[in-house]
Amino acid sequence: MAGKLDVKQGTLALMILRTLDVLGPLHGYGVARRIEETSKNRLTLNYGTLYPALLKLEQEGFITAEWRQSENNRRAKYYALTAAGRKQLAREAREWHQTADLIAAFLAPRRETP
Amino acid sequence: MRHLRAAFARIAGFFTGHHADDDLRDELQAHLEMETAENIRRGLQPEEARRRAALASGGLTQAAEAVRAQRGLPWLESVAADIRYALRALRHSPAFTAVVVITLALGIGANTAIFSVVRGVLLKSLPHRDGDRLMYLRQSADGPGQANISFSVPEVRDLREGAKSLAGIAEYSPFSFTLQGEKQAVRIDVGLVTGNYFEVMGLSPALGRLTRPSDDGPGVPPVMVLTHDYWMRRFGGDSSIVGKQLRVEDRSVTVIGVLQPAPFFPDRIDALLNMVVSPHHVSAMMVQNRSHRMTEVVARLAAGATVEQARTEVAAVHARMQSEFRGVYNADSHYRVEVIPFKEALGERARMTLWLLMGAAAFVMIISAANVVNLTLMRGVRRGHELVVRAALGAGVARLRRLLLVENLVLTLMGAVVGVIIAIGGVRLLVSLAARYSPRANEIQLDATVLAFALALSVTLAMLLSFVASLPKEGSIASLISAGVLRVSGSLRKQRLQRALVVAQIAVSVVLLAGAGLLTRTMIHLSEVNTGLRTEEVLAMEVPLLQLGGSPGTGTDLAAWFKNLLASDAVAKQSYERMQRELQALPGVTEVGVGSTIPLRGSSMRLEVKAENKPPAVGTAAPRADFRSANPEYFRAAGIPLRRGRDFTATDRQGSGKVVIINQMLADTFFPGEDPIGKRIAWTGEILKFSPISGDWRTIVGVVGNTQDGGQDAKPRPVMFMPFAQELAMAAVLVIRTDSNASALAAVATRVVRRVAPTAPIENVLTIKQVKDQSVAPRRLNAALISLFGALAVIIAAVGIAGVLAFSVSARTNEIGIRMSLGADGGRVQRMILKEGGVLLAVGLVLGVAGAFFAAGVIRGLLFGVAPHDPMTLIGVAATMGVIGIGACWIPAVRAAHIDPAITMRS
Repeated sequence: MAGKLDVKQGTLALMILRTLDVLGPLHGYGVARRIEETSKNRLTLNYGTLYPALLKLEQEGFITAEWRQSENNRRAKYYALTAAGRKQLAREAREWHQTADLIAAFLAPRRETP
Repeated sequence: MRHLRAAFARIAGFFTGHHADDDLRDELQAHLEMETAENIRRGLQPEEARRRAALASGGLTQAAEAVRAQRGLPWLESVAADIRYALRALRHSPAFTAVVVITLALGIGANTAIFSVVRGVLLKSLPHRDGDRLMYLRQSADGPGQANISFSVPEVRDLREGAKSLAGIAEYSPFSFTLQGEKQAVRIDVGLVTGNYFEVMGLSPALGRLTRPSDDGPGVPPVMVLTHDYWMRRFGGDSSIVGKQLRVEDRSVTVIGVLQPAPFFPDRIDALLNMVVSPHHVSAMMVQNRSHRMTEVVARLAAGATVEQARTEVAAVHARMQSEFRGVYNADSHYRVEVIPFKEALGERARMTLWLLMGAAAFVMIISAANVVNLTLMRGVRRGHELVVRAALGAGVARLRRLLLVENLVLTLMGAVVGVIIAIGGVRLLVSLAARYSPRANEIQLDATVLAFALALSVTLAMLLSFVASLPKEGSIASLISAGVLRVSGSLRKQRLQRALVVAQIAVSVVLLAGAGLLTRTMIHLSEVNTGLRTEEVLAMEVPLLQLGGSPGTGTDLAAWFKNLLASDAVAKQSYERMQRELQALPGVTEVGVGSTIPLRGSSMRLEVKAENKPPAVGTAAPRADFRSANPEYFRAAGIPLRRGRDFTATDRQGSGKVVIINQMLADTFFPGEDPIGKRIAWTGEILKFSPISGDWRTIVGVVGNTQDGGQDAKPRPVMFMPFAQELAMAAVLVIRTDSNASALAAVATRVVRRVAPTAPIENVLTIKQVKDQSVAPRRLNAALISLFGALAVIIAAVGIAGVLAFSVSARTNEIGIRMSLGADGGRVQRMILKEGGVLLAVGLVLGVAGAFFAAGVIRGLLFGVAPHDPMTLIGVAATMGVIGIGACWIPAVRAAHIDPAITMRS
């Protein structure tokens, strides 16, 4: 299991929103696969992490859920981004970038001149 | 917005959980299948593909649980589960539940009921505006009947000028008037007030207007404000009464308004009028004479002033008055004025009794709480095993604590609900008790505050119960499991706690029983006091015919008013003679008398007396006697024994020589060791100047026995009887003696009187037995309530001691079995258990008797004829508790003696 990471609290919501933004409406399995692939399999998502997060986003009104036929004729619950979700994604992405820049600046290999 | 929305979604989720569960299962199942299919597509065997997919899922059940936690309100859901569990557990031990709920209900019920009375009568803020700044002024002096002598108008004037810390001083003169109804007249209790009275009291009208300063003085129309209570009672809340004219004391009076509900002091009243209604109140003698005291005084503290400042100022003003008018204030009588917050004055008579009852109720609460703690501890020991299993399955200490708390809350709240139901019944009973002590009795109610009090009691108790139970500590679980907790009988510390609780229960019960014993003995002593009357089969009724108010035309012309009065007095006396004759003719009536006052009731007129050639003793207050009148048949009818001399006769009439009959008490005051017959005695004092009573010398012709006019517990008062024919018939009572049941005569006697005087008020139709009962009724209720609490305490304590011993026996079954198989017989085992209980009982009794010894001093004021530390009572109480306690120990002891060693050793 070396090299595998746990999903940090708060980042999972962002990943789900981004996935739905890029791929359009998608079922839970699809979201999980996409996140794992994007992370080059460094992240694994078990159901106990993924489904509560989906439910939370739904409760907050950022995504909607609906039962549909999948491409290979299977019934699955599809999640889709709402307008509020799109706004939330933009906001969170911006905040994340700022934080990442800040941390990167801090961690840059630079020696203080005495 | 986003959080609000999420919260709503969760609340909705809490209610729609079941449907969503199916949905979730389908979704997770779909996920699993898609992953399995993908694995197969990658070339895995179906079996392996399914296994890997399942592995990656992290467990469907856990996932479902995590989603459920997100969906609804997990905390609430688990509390709901705890409550369901608690109810199930309690249903499985119905005996335990019933005992706890009943015990708690008794404790909570008693406390809630008494607290609602204490709150209504003593604690609640007054309905008056800024009621805390309202003061009652009381002037008193040494001597009997001088505890509240009220004020004269000049005294009030001095206070107004001198005491600047009192912003307003209002006068209030209680009086009794005749109100002419459509058919018959009734007597009403009224207050004659100055125009600033309502402003000072901080009261508003419920309807119409109240009196104001322009209603003061002699030349204004008489007006009347009805109290809310009387308006509802007599006029059924009819608002058209405002503006109507009523006939009061033969004068026409306009009703100007209805007052908001408010308590009055010293007594409940029906209406308030301006002073002009009573010619006497606006007369020169009333307004100018310093010793003519008819006025109660209320005052309002000035802004920024304190009660202490007011007291100092009032004392200074009063000291100035005393030095300036030495003739009015006999220095030996020690005149003084108190400034008392109005709220305290209202609660004065009730305070002692109510706090006593509150204390007794608190004791019952302590005992029942101790019992419940004990029962819970015992149950906790039996449940130790269950708690350890729960802990082993992963429940944390906090979680277990919460489970216990929920369970205890369910228990205590059930107790509270039953308790409040008991309290509702109790309050009804207590209101009638409180009405005897307090003008605020109608403010008693089981309101939100009182219910909050009951709730607070039960929640506190539940928390206490949850924390005395010891829980398996984290880390110690393994050792507990290996120890096999089924055999644990509770730690030594816990057993000590149980024993201490039993001792406390017994001690507190003894204290309560001692109180009950003392009050009951007081009752017995009181009922044994000789009333002084020979018989109780006597019916009395008040029929006042004479009205004091003149006709409106006469105004303040006092001479004319007095002439009128004498004329109507003569007419009234003829009516009484007719009533007497007609009543005498009724079957069963043996004697009918007429007098001023009901036997065994005190006269409201109490004046200074002097005897010829007996100079008053220096350094003591002037002697006083009750003013009463009687016709020749009165003493025989009432059963008052003539000790010396003669009865009044028909020749003792208006114009003949003035004669009196005195009672033994007055004879002893002036003529100890002498024969008073033929000696002369007279009324005296400043007050005679303003009354129709003459200060002439009167010859004593007889001495009658003392009667308990001030109540069964009071010293007999000195009384001087005038011939009914020689005085104004200001008040009149018919006294009818029968040869059988007096109360059966009431209806027919009332009819006879009504025939003679169709419109007269007929009041207080009472048998002498009823009069006597009324005087002891408050004490009887006190004694009954405390005895009830005492009995409750003893029962609960007996259950407590029996329960603890029974538990001890069941925990020691094994040990007892061993003892018996080693040769101890049943008797020895029984003695062993009895000894265990006996020690607890003995310690409790000793502590209880010591406690009662201290506590009894508190109720000294409520006792009569029995000392607070009456050894007979204490011994009796200890013996009673001892016998009941031993009885309670007997059952578990006998059970222990019947333990079969063969069975116990094998199990």
